[in-house]
Amino acid sequence: MAEDTTSQHSRRDFLSRAAMATGLAGGYGAFGMIAGRYLYPARSAETAWLYVSDINRLSDGESLLYEAPDGEKITVTRSTTTAGRVEFVAMSSTCPHLGCQVQWEPQNSRYFCPCHNGVFNPEGVATEGPPADAKQSLKRYPAQVEDGLLFLEVRTERLVAGNQGKIIEAPTCGNGPGHDPCLSPIAARGKERPA
Amino acid sequence: MTATRWFTDRLPISGDQLRELTNEPVPNHLKRWWFALGGTPAYLFVIQIFTGILLAFYYRASAVTAYDSVAFITNEAAFGWYIRSVHKWAATLMIAAVILHQMRVFFTGAYRKPREINWVVGMFILMCVLMLGFTGYALVFEQLSYWGATVGANIADQVPVIGGFIKRMMLGGDDYNSLTLPRFFVVHAAILPTTLVLLLVVHIAIIRMQGVTDFKFKDETEEKSGTFHFFPEHFYTELIIGLTLMLILSALATISPAALGNPANPLQTPEVIKPEWFFYVVFRWLKLFSVTVAVLSTGFIVFAMIAWPFIDEQIRKRTRFKDASVWIGIGAVIVIVAMTVWEAVVKH
Repeated sequence: MAEDTTSQHSRRDFLSRAAMATGLAGGYGAFGMIAGRYLYPARSAETAWLYVSDINRLSDGESLLYEAPDGEKITVTRSTTTAGRVEFVAMSSTCPHLGCQVQWEPQNSRYFCPCHNGVFNPEGVATEGPPADAKQSLKRYPAQVEDGLLFLEVRTERLVAGNQGKIIEAPTCGNGPGHDPCLSPIAARGKERPA
Repeated sequence: MTATRWFTDRLPISGDQLRELTNEPVPNHLKRWWFALGGTPAYLFVIQIFTGILLAFYYRASAVTAYDSVAFITNEAAFGWYIRSVHKWAATLMIAAVILHQMRVFFTGAYRKPREINWVVGMFILMCVLMLGFTGYALVFEQLSYWGATVGANIADQVPVIGGFIKRMMLGGDDYNSLTLPRFFVVHAAILPTTLVLLLVVHIAIIRMQGVTDFKFKDETEEKSGTFHFFPEHFYTELIIGLTLMLILSALATISPAALGNPANPLQTPEVIKPEWFFYVVFRWLKLFSVTVAVLSTGFIVFAMIAWPFIDEQIRKRTRFKDASVWIGIGAVIVIVAMTVWEAVVKH
């Protein structure tokens, strides 16, 4: 009889402790979830057509680098089709392999990623290197020209400082086949190093 | 067993020592809620650190970006309005709890020998908390933040001899400029919290050295008196109080979320300008007297509050008014409440 009472007591004690622990874990867990949700950056699904540049800024085969409001870097290239129509191709300049910045090489008509020698054709499809093995492509953005002005459809997610999108002045160093467009100055610096 | 051995080989501390560290015997009178007023602000301070770190992820401390970043937190970040509102309400409750804790210590005479030093530490904690309130309010960079900081700096300027120095140190120049807001941010988010943590460590260390003041109540039998263990009994209670506080804060944040006024405009002072409620009494004082008289008298009152255990000791030694502190305390509370209410109800 006495044993039954003790066992009932310990069971009740266990259940009340379990209920308390569950309640506390649930309560504090909920606040933890809120904190996690707050910290996880929001990704806006909204897009808008944003003005980029006057089309005369680029001649045939030339490109410019544009930074969208969400921070995405986009290479916009001007080309002329065989039918003589001027076309603008806007391609994400972020390599889908490991996120390095690809470079448009007009002399080779390709995008090149210097990190792991990834190569993409003008349509953004990988043709060589790890991105080709993984059958990856560069993301393409819709572009259109109105009254001689170039517009891109990009995500409008706003950074805290209110970034509205801008053209990034590309470095003006060598654009020979492959590798970093700033390879020449780096090579020159390398020569200065003591042997 | 092997795991325990692995740890004790590297951390030479036994279970008994750990129990001794955590099982501080707590007097039974601490089960009464008004004796939890010291633990409450400490818990609220933990909430402030937690929510403050979350806010700092998006807050950008410069005159150009501050207001936009607060607007981003409030309107765009998921649960940003909630985090900011909890931070604001926890600050309000923390200040209220510190003041109530100080009143409880004052009216129970718990500041008397040998606890005078801890009263002084407690006064510095109160000032630290008030400064946290002031600097935090300035960070929003809305109209009242800007003008509140400007007025605050000019009040400091009135302090004889060192006023000019304090003002320049506060603003990072002669007037509010582009260096001011980063300065307030560093003070609010780094210097004052670190100072407060150090003061709390000293405060709690002294409490543990001296033990919690032992009170006997009229309804307390021998059986009721005595102690209970800090861990797990008191620790569980603290967890439950903490969760209850979070629920209260959540309710307050939902019912009355932190608002965002117009952006700071250095060219236009708002028609009605008031600080946060905890500075109402000083603000009203400033309206009653000239700035110099108000600043000097406030300094004198603060000094008297810090030195009160020693003043009280002299009064008790040299006069027959043994309970003078109680009557002075009641008078001070009436004056403070009256001036706060007065400032709250009038427009100017």
